[in-house]
Amino acid sequence: MKTQSQKQATVGKGERVPAEAPSHQAEGSLGSDESYRLLVETLRDYAILMLDPEGRVATWNPGAERFKGYRADEIIGKHVSIFYPAEAMARDLPRIELEGATKTGVYEDVGWRVRKDGSQFWASVVISALRTKDGVLIGFSKVTKDLTLQRAAEARIKRQSDEILELATPVMQVWKGVVMAPLIGSLDSARTQQFMERLLNRVVETNSSVALVDIMGVPTIDTKTAQHLIESITAVRLLGAQVVLTGVRPAIAQTLVHLGINLSDILTRSSLAGGLQVALNILKLEVVAKSRGLKE
Amino acid sequence: MTLRLNEDFPINEEGDIVLARRLVREFALQRGFGTMDVTRIVTAASELIRNIYVYAGTGVMRVAFNEDGARTGMELTFSDQGPGIPDIAKAMEPGYSTGKSMGMGLSGSKRLMDDLTIRSVVGKGTTVIIIKWRSK
Amino acid sequence: MTRDNISVIRLRGILLVTVPPEPDDETVSSFQEKVLDVMASNEPRGLVLDISTVQTLDSFFARTLMETVQMAALMGTPTVIAGMRPDVAITATLLGLSFGKTLTARDMDSAFDLIVEKTAEDLSR
Repeated sequence: MKTQSQKQATVGKGERVPAEAPSHQAEGSLGSDESYRLLVETLRDYAILMLDPEGRVATWNPGAERFKGYRADEIIGKHVSIFYPAEAMARDLPRIELEGATKTGVYEDVGWRVRKDGSQFWASVVISALRTKDGVLIGFSKVTKDLTLQRAAEARIKRQSDEILELATPVMQVWKGVVMAPLIGSLDSARTQQFMERLLNRVVETNSSVALVDIMGVPTIDTKTAQHLIESITAVRLLGAQVVLTGVRPAIAQTLVHLGINLSDILTRSSLAGGLQVALNILKLEVVAKSRGLKE
Repeated sequence: MTLRLNEDFPINEEGDIVLARRLVREFALQRGFGTMDVTRIVTAASELIRNIYVYAGTGVMRVAFNEDGARTGMELTFSDQGPGIPDIAKAMEPGYSTGKSMGMGLSGSKRLMDDLTIRSVVGKGTTVIIIKWRSK
Repeated sequence: MTRDNISVIRLRGILLVTVPPEPDDETVSSFQEKVLDVMASNEPRGLVLDISTVQTLDSFFARTLMETVQMAALMGTPTVIAGMRPDVAITATLLGLSFGKTLTARDMDSAFDLIVEKTAEDLSR
């Protein structure tokens, strides 16, 4: 049996204690063979199987049948590599995983696996080496979780939060002929295109001559975001509108200069108010205070 | 002139460029793509058709639609048996040009579309496939 | 499509050229010729290129436009590109097309005002 000092770090993941084969306890009690069997049977979200030392399937649970598609009688005796797609086979992944588990006790991985019908699913896999008290390898346990649903849910959440973000930052008309578009966060290619669409359509709808693009909500700026920002500004100008970049904070100004980004032909201001002033100048408008009493 | 889906549309003369564009526009609108997407698709197609005409002289365009579960994809394939592209990576760089056109066809089309695949063998020819998805 | 689809109007000394919706390459090339022809016979104080009906602005068209603008500039005539549609503007930007420092306006009206302003500026220098 390996001692703590003999264990090495597993491939990129944390340390684990090698699993022991379940001990024999009185039937009907927790910890008994019977209750372990019940545990494995009732876990339907996980495929839990045991492999012999050569990697062939020795046991099968209902969860495994559910998302790998094989019945017990058709899969027992087959090698674990049957679950791996061609690319994984080309990389010799099954052998690498089994060897990894043999050496360090546990091998964890996330990747594509294949069902009986040939379809692939994204899975989290944990393979543990099973040894007797004397350290003899009697096989492996393989626990697989289907992450497809999780992945789809995560993608959906991201999409929805993106949509919420867009809804929360509409392009507003702040004066006749002036629109204001706040930018929050960073700009990747997809967001930039959406941003450009919203901004340009609004400029046309409102017949605006000036667009204020406020970047107060952009905490840090990298080259990509800066380039996308410049692109958006270029696009607006093609419509004949002028752009004023507002909310340029000192930290952002510093980053832009250090990145060598040339904003020399773009009007910029540190505050939105400053930007509005520029806009009014462009429109040749002036804000005049109403006199309060007698004329001076 | 009609163009049916999955059929080769020959590109032989300058006039074919605007004709092909019109057909692509009609197909895209028919399948429910919005104005912004249609403009992107047609412009990308225009660039790639032009590349065929300028670099290879003749070639073909094919239009197909992929139904993939929750989304519809418009897939355009441009093939020619022209000189081929010796350095694809370089050709994909924005602003790269060897010939008469501005040479931004490949890099530009990649930005306009959701996906661009290119296969080219020097002396044999080039095939470019672009695709734009929309959710159903 | 032939040269006949390109309308050229002279208003207050400014040339207004309207480009048809889906010009083929021939039309695009002849558009440039026509503009230069008209400019040769009477020196306009400005040139407005109206592309408000254009749906596809590809690299060839963009290059021809820019050449026209540059040629006009060499002849001392300021040019304004007017009426670019939002999706065309976005597509042009994504495609990497550059219009340099060319003046742009949202419609012919603003384009005219822009030229009047610019020529007044130039005169006062």
